[in-house]
Amino acid sequence: MKLKMLRCAALLPVTLAMVRAQPASQPPDLTGVWGIYRGGPGSDPKFAAPAPGPIVLKPEYDKPYQEKRARESAAAQRGEQLDSSGARCIPYGVPSMMAIAIYPVEIIQTSKQVTIISEAFSEVRRVYLDRPQWKIEDVAPGYYGRSVGHWEGDTLVVDTVGIKPAASGYRGIPHSPQMRVTERIAKLSPDILHDQITIDDPVVLEKPVTYTVAYKRMPADYEMVEFVCDNNREYVDEKGIVRLKLHDK
Amino acid sequence: MKILQAARAKVCCAALMAAGIFAAAGPVLAHHSFTMFDMTKRVTLAGTVTSFEWTNPHSYIEIDVPDEKGTVKHYSIEMGSPSILMQSGWKFSSLHAGDKITLIMNPMKSGQNGGFLSTATLPDGKVLSNGPRQEPPPAPAPK
Repeated sequence: MKLKMLRCAALLPVTLAMVRAQPASQPPDLTGVWGIYRGGPGSDPKFAAPAPGPIVLKPEYDKPYQEKRARESAAAQRGEQLDSSGARCIPYGVPSMMAIAIYPVEIIQTSKQVTIISEAFSEVRRVYLDRPQWKIEDVAPGYYGRSVGHWEGDTLVVDTVGIKPAASGYRGIPHSPQMRVTERIAKLSPDILHDQITIDDPVVLEKPVTYTVAYKRMPADYEMVEFVCDNNREYVDEKGIVRLKLHDK
Repeated sequence: MKILQAARAKVCCAALMAAGIFAAAGPVLAHHSFTMFDMTKRVTLAGTVTSFEWTNPHSYIEIDVPDEKGTVKHYSIEMGSPSILMQSGWKFSSLHAGDKITLIMNPMKSGQNGGFLSTATLPDGKVLSNGPRQEPPPAPAPK
């Protein structure tokens, strides 16, 4: 009997430790393949993405941005598209990769990491849940930067820094190495997900820009499709116009 | 070149739908814009497939099209990506070299022998569109 009690006492700390290891409540599971939810006829307005906020650039960035938009518009009137990273098959990076045409994103969630894969261009980003963010100047600039996340209730809050200026900006706006992207990702229902994206760039923007991407869960049997850009027939000519290579045979 | 119909029509709703899906709209990006194609024109081609390229960022139908005199012209027809095409019923094996098909495309504004697919009628009679979950538009009335 005494031996039994001793054994029980010895097990107690282990059991308590196991109990403590369990969080009070599990965060929601975002795992799945999510297609862009575009709203429109037949859709539920309460799940549609809210209207994006205004883009206000600092004057020294606004002028060249507006001039670039005007050049693009004039080229489109002529039936031409100006050079773009998309036409060159260069990945979009954070945050643009979260909404490319109608391509879905796949989210794979574990207790320590959320991995997001865009079907378009097979882009991959990793959100670490168990470590702090670094200073911007310590992150090697890239298309995906460095993302860390934490749960605020049922919302995954993701902080990303270290996006290189070459990565496509939201609506083509420029960005500096000081850009910080904050995302609030949450399910509105079992099959609807929103990613509220806020871009803050004290160098380029007068105030942060916020927009939301809405997603709907893809059918359970959907399998992500490979996307390797090995047949890009668009090319940029000497005038900076995107052209299409046509085959003679 | 055997052009069965070339209609500068009222703007074709299917073409607009395709443009809406593929072109940049709001925060939604695409591989490239479609300004190089005349989405208001639809041209029907009947010919023989020389290759079907199930590739990214776009798939292509390469097709030889004979005209009334038998002279053959070659066309490159751009499509969506495999991911997008699968959502309208395409498979990597939907077409093969040698298949005789009819297709409707939005031609290049430049006048070159190329275009953007609207619909294709496969050898088995199945009509497939170039966008996701779209019903194929009705065939245009002959001129």
